[in-house]
Parts: sequence; C-alpha cells; structure tokens
Amino acid sequence: MSSLSLNETPVRTSKSFNINNIKLTNLELPKVIQEFNNTQIVNASSKIIIEEKRTPISLKYGLGEEQTKQVQTEANQNYKIAIDSKVNKDTEINFNFDNNNNTLIDNIDILANEQTNATIILKYESSKELECYHNGVLKLYAKKNSRINIIIVNLLSDISNNFIAIENTIEENANVKYTIIDFGGQNTVTNYYSNIIGDFADNTLNTIYIGKDRQIIDLNYIAELKGEKSNINIEVQGALKDKAKKNFKGTIDFKKGCKKAKGEENENCMLLSETAKSIALPMLLCSEEDVEGSHSSSAGKVGDKELFYIMSRGFELKEAQKLLVRANFNKILENIKNEELKQKVLDEINWRLD
Amino acid sequence: MSKTKIEEFDRSIYNLKNKDNYDYKIQKGITKEIIEEISNQKNDPDWMRDFRLEALEVYNKLELPTWGPDLSELNMDEIATYVRPKTKLNNSWDDVPEDIKNTFYKLGIPEAEKKSLAGVGAQYDSEVVYHSMKDDLKKQGVIYTDMETAIREYPDIVKKYFMKCVPVNDHKFVALHGAVWSGGSFVYVPKNVKVDIPLQSYFRLNSPESGQFEHTLIIVEEGASLHFIEGCSAPKYSKINLHAGCVELIVKDNAYLRYSTIENWSKNMLNLNTKKAMIGKNAQVDWVTGSFGSKISMLYPLSQLNGEGAKTEYTGISFAGKGQNLDTGFKAIHNAPNTSSVVNAKSISKNGGKCTYRSLIKISPKAKNSKSSVSCESLMLDDISVSDTIPVNDIQTDEVEFSHEAKIGKISDKTIFYLMSRGLSEEDAKAMIVRGFAYPISKELPVEYAVEMNNLINIELQGTIG
Repeated sequence: MSSLSLNETPVRTSKSFNINNIKLTNLELPKVIQEFNNTQIVNASSKIIIEEKRTPISLKYGLGEEQTKQVQTEANQNYKIAIDSKVNKDTEINFNFDNNNNTLIDNIDILANEQTNATIILKYESSKELECYHNGVLKLYAKKNSRINIIIVNLLSDISNNFIAIENTIEENANVKYTIIDFGGQNTVTNYYSNIIGDFADNTLNTIYIGKDRQIIDLNYIAELKGEKSNINIEVQGALKDKAKKNFKGTIDFKKGCKKAKGEENENCMLLSETAKSIALPMLLCSEEDVEGSHSSSAGKVGDKELFYIMSRGFELKEAQKLLVRANFNKILENIKNEELKQKVLDEINWRLD
Repeated sequence: MSKTKIEEFDRSIYNLKNKDNYDYKIQKGITKEIIEEISNQKNDPDWMRDFRLEALEVYNKLELPTWGPDLSELNMDEIATYVRPKTKLNNSWDDVPEDIKNTFYKLGIPEAEKKSLAGVGAQYDSEVVYHSMKDDLKKQGVIYTDMETAIREYPDIVKKYFMKCVPVNDHKFVALHGAVWSGGSFVYVPKNVKVDIPLQSYFRLNSPESGQFEHTLIIVEEGASLHFIEGCSAPKYSKINLHAGCVELIVKDNAYLRYSTIENWSKNMLNLNTKKAMIGKNAQVDWVTGSFGSKISMLYPLSQLNGEGAKTEYTGISFAGKGQNLDTGFKAIHNAPNTSSVVNAKSISKNGGKCTYRSLIKISPKAKNSKSSVSCESLMLDDISVSDTIPVNDIQTDEVEFSHEAKIGKISDKTIFYLMSRGLSEEDAKAMIVRGFAYPISKELPVEYAVEMNNLINIELQGTIG
C-alpha cells in the first residue's frame, strides 16, 4: 500500500483548510507495468500524424514528482501527434482496459501547427468490475491560429485509480477547447495547466463530473494569461451523491503584460445526498491592471421548485433529479458532436445517477 | 490627460512620534526568563503566570505559516514585547501625561468620546492609560475596563473565557500572544442590556522595535447588544514593529454585537492579529473592517456559528499602497442548522501594493438549511500592483444555499470618461469612483469613522493617480 501527496495548488493557503494538495492513502499502485495492447485509433488520416514515440516530459506543475516520473520512465503507451492541416473528422484514441490491459501509463504529445484545425478524442474505458490504473500526461502545443478541440472521457470503473496531467502552451490567436468528462475512479485526480502566451489566444475548459459511493475527485486547474487580449473560460458542472467528495481548485493567474485579458471561472456542484462533500478554491491572481476577471462558485441541492415542477408532470423524484442534473450538463455535452460517444456519456450519467 | 505624482502623502497625524519615554521596557527577545519577568512586572496571579509559560512552550513548538506573506524579516530577538508607559491607568484625560494626552487629542479620541461614544479605552504601548464609561451603563451592570483590572476584579469571568475561544495552539502568533499579552479591553454586557452608543478602544504603539499584544475579551449575554469600535495606529520607524493582538467575542443566544475596526498601523508594522466570535442561538455578529496601514497584515476574523439561527456578516475593505502586503479576509464556520453568513469584501491595490482576500466558508454536516453568500471585488489602480483572491468553500451537506462571486479589474475607462465629460478632473473622477467602491463599507461605520476612512482614501489616492 502506498500513499501519495498530489496536485499542489500554485499558491498555498492555510494548512487547516485541507485544500493545498490531496493526500491519498492505502493506494494499490502497480509494481510492474505490463504492456498495454488494447488501443484503438479511429479516423487516422494523413493530415494528422500519430507516431508511437516517446517524448521527454517536463511539466511546470503536474500531479506530483512521482506521477510525472512514472510517465517519464515507465509509459507503456507513447504517442507523438502532429496536426498539419485542417482535419474534418474527429480523431479518436480509445484506450480499452481489460483483464490483460488494466494498467495504462500514457504519454501523449500533440503539436498543432499554424492554421490547423482538429478534434481529438481520448477515451479511457473499462468494465464496471475491472480494477484499473491510469496515469497519463498530455502535452499540447497550439501554434498561431490553430483551433484544437480535445475531448477526454473517463469511463473507468469506480474501483480504479485515474491520474492525468495536462499542459498546454497556446500561441497567438490560437483557440484551444477542452471538454473533460470525468466519471470513473475510486480516486480521479486531474492537473490542468494552460500557459496562454499569445495575444488573442483563447482557451476554454468545460468539465462534467459525477461522484458516487466513496469516490474522490480532485481537480486542479491553472491558467496563466500572458498574451494581450487573451482569454480563459472555465466551466465546471458536477453532481455528488452518497459519500463522494470533490475538491475543485481553479486558478486564473493574470500575469503582468496581459492587457485586456479576460478570465472567467464558474463552478457549480449539485449535492444529491447529505453526506457528499464539496470543497472549492476558485483563485484569482492578478498582477495586471487592465484585465477583467471573475469567478463564481455555488453548491447545494437541486432546487425544490424545479423538482416540484417536473414531478407535477408525472416524474418520480429520482427521474426528476436526473433531468435537472442533465439539464445542467447539457450545455457542456453539446461540445460532443460524435453521437455514439455522446450517447455513451448519457447512458453513463443515467447509470451513475440511478 | 493631466497626471499627478505625489510619492509621499501626509500622515503627520499618525506619524507623531513621542520620545520613547517609558517607565519600563523589557529586554528584546522571547525566553522563559523574559516571560517570567513580564509576569512579575504585571503582578500576574499564579494561573496567568502558568498560562503564559505554557503558551511559550506552544510557541516554541509551532512553525511559522507555510502560506501567505513572507515573514522572514521578523526577528523576535529584536522585539521588546512589553513596554510600560510612564503613567498609571487614568479615568480623566487631565491625569494623562502631556505627551501621551496630546497624541490621543491629535487622533481625535477625547473629541469622539464627547460626541459619540459611551466609553473609551486608550492603550499606549503595552498598557491602557485611560478608561472611562458613562455612568448609566455602569448602573445597568455593563463592565468596560482594561484586561488587567478585569483579571483582578472579575477573575471568575476572565478565567472562564480567556483564550478559550481562541486557543493558544491555533497558530504561532496566538501562542506568542498568550505568552506576552498585555493591555486590551474587557467588556461584559449583562442579559438584555442594550448598549445603544458605541464603546471604543484605541491602541497606539509609540515605542520603536517593540510589539503590542493587547487582549480584547467581550461577553454579550443573552438578549443584550453592543457596538464596539477599535482603532489602531503607530508612527513609522525604520525597523519592524509587531502587533499580535487577540480578540475573543462571546455572543450568547439572541444577542447582537457589531465589531468595527479602522486599522491604520504604520508601514513598518507586521500586523498578525487574531479575532474570533462564538455565536449562540439566533445571535448575530457583524464585522466591519477597514485595513489601511501596516507593512504586512495577516488577519482573518472568524465567526463560529454555534447556535441554531445564528447569523454573521463581514463587510471589509483593504487598501494596499507602496510596500504593503495586506493578506486579509474572513472565516465562517456553520455548526448549527439555519445559520447564515454574508460576506462583502473589497480591496484596492496601488503603487505596487498587494492585497489578498483569503477566506474559508465551512458548512458542517450539522448545519442544515444554512445559507452563505460571498462577494469580493478587487480594484487595481495601476499595473505594478497585485491583487489575489484565495477563497475556500467547504460544503459538507446538501441542504444549503451557497454562492460565491468575485471580480477583479480596473476603474472603467468609460466611467472616468463620463465623469470627466461632466467637468471633473481625472483625479477627482477616480477618487469619486473609489469612494463609491468603498461606500458599502463606509456606510456601515459611525459617521466620524466614515469621514476618517474617506480621508484616508483621499490621502492614499493623492499619491497614486497618474
């Protein structure tokens, strides 16, 4: 059994608030990393070059030294992806966990060249009974005027451990959009860092999570705005039931020189049981005068009036709750254009809320 | 556009320095011998001497905070923790020595006492030099005195509450306070007594390379109410001074307390203060705070809502200028059903100053049907300043309504343009906007203090526009 201290916030606050990092104890970490041979790449094309090639990793934040080192030295899936022009179809990389492939350490490095346009879907999926381990690093470099849409879907079992560190560098006028569907894992820990260096660079991050049973969800999102008129928009919608616990740490950091930059962060947690716990630390750090920054955070159960309205139309309480949760998620779900994947996510939402 | 640059503003009233003319000043540093000597000098009862020594042990064990402003320039070996002024406690200004009296006159304390206060306490360095209260309050059983007198005359009450609300192991500077505390005010408001006119304590630190560690203990019994105001200032010296006071507020069922603070310490002061309120059933505590001075402040008043239906409101503004790092905010812990907290925090940063809003709202599993609403706004007046917002929202039950909003930005160009098109200069337009920004706080203060706060904002702004 191991214990890990992960996901340090960029600025510390009082230790007694229990939010500066997450300490996971009694973790069953894999001692030997076996091969992972059940990856499926859909819609590979000549416009997007996917090589199985290891790239060196250096992260400003990351989940923690041990997790980064594990990817550096023991990755069993390495992809170097170069986007060279506009790609019309979504490119999917599906990591299908099974009894023989239950440990994935992936290192994905994406380079979006100038004027390119692509959607990449990364799906991590297992059966409900399979105990899996995933530790991954995803690095994206978005060059000038590129438009990149990344969708990450975590459909691992609830007895898995899921760790992912994402780091983006976004140049002038590039547009990077992330949609993260974060469902599986006894522990699911995400570190997201965007280095928004270009003028007019734009980054959107939309996340949906559902925590059930005793799941622990730890999200540490950091965006540094450096380019003039650059923009970050973070929207996190989640629901917690049973004894699930979620930590959300969202930092928007306006660096000196990012004149007329905008940053907005909105986090909403629907509490579906009296024993679920939600902690949020939405930080705004500002060293530039001419910016607009805002965050909002809310938590509570779904509205009685809304429930009453839906139940008056003949729905049972559980169904009415599901509808309301789905309604909050819908805007983000619209980001998924792949109907098959969307349906899979909707089915998973229904199952998780049952 | 015309621009002005006035690097230094007029703080002459606050910067009045009297000769360091003390009756007794303890040697610098913090050791067992020094603590015992403070205890001797103050004629402490045995329990207090033991308490101080235990607090010192805790102080030696605890680490400096691993977060917040850098406190590395604080060297306790360079701080004298007890300075007794050359006077006894007086209840007439005529008996206060001339130099000390002049200081308080220039700060306007006796004038305010005449006009708008029900009682005044004035502390100079480590001891309270003046205390008085209107007779009608005395007749109703209200006690307002310095802490040393309270220990002598009301030992049972003091012993029952002293550092129970804020335990010495809370953090390192509370432990330090427990070891070296001196001065401060004790207020006891009996059941159902309404003190309609405010009481005020003013804390003045004159002695260089020293610390002020006053202890304020206020007990508002069931159904009673009180408005208490504290003010503080010090002249500026080249070396660091330290303020590590402690405020404990016990507000019982159905009682009300408003605690207002205008803090204007000099800019060589490290202000590491601790304030906490324990709030009973259907009781309410409102905090109104203006933080203008100090080099570094770390101050986060805590409202612990222990009784069903308890309420708290925090209304605060911080104004950080050149060389200042004001790390302030609020903590509310909801421990009972139907409790509510409302936070309205504002900050202004300019001339390279740094403001941080740091907070905790915790709604425990017991606090069903509780509500909390937090709003913080930060205004940046130039591009060399810093403004951070670091709020923690810890929600542990579903039957709650919780919302938090924060905004950061500069004064709107459109608004300045509008005001200038109406004939105002750029400076006047900005000053008007800043006063408007601060208005929700200043309107909560008694009029004399609102005027003082507006003057402080004017003074501070003169050095910044451009």
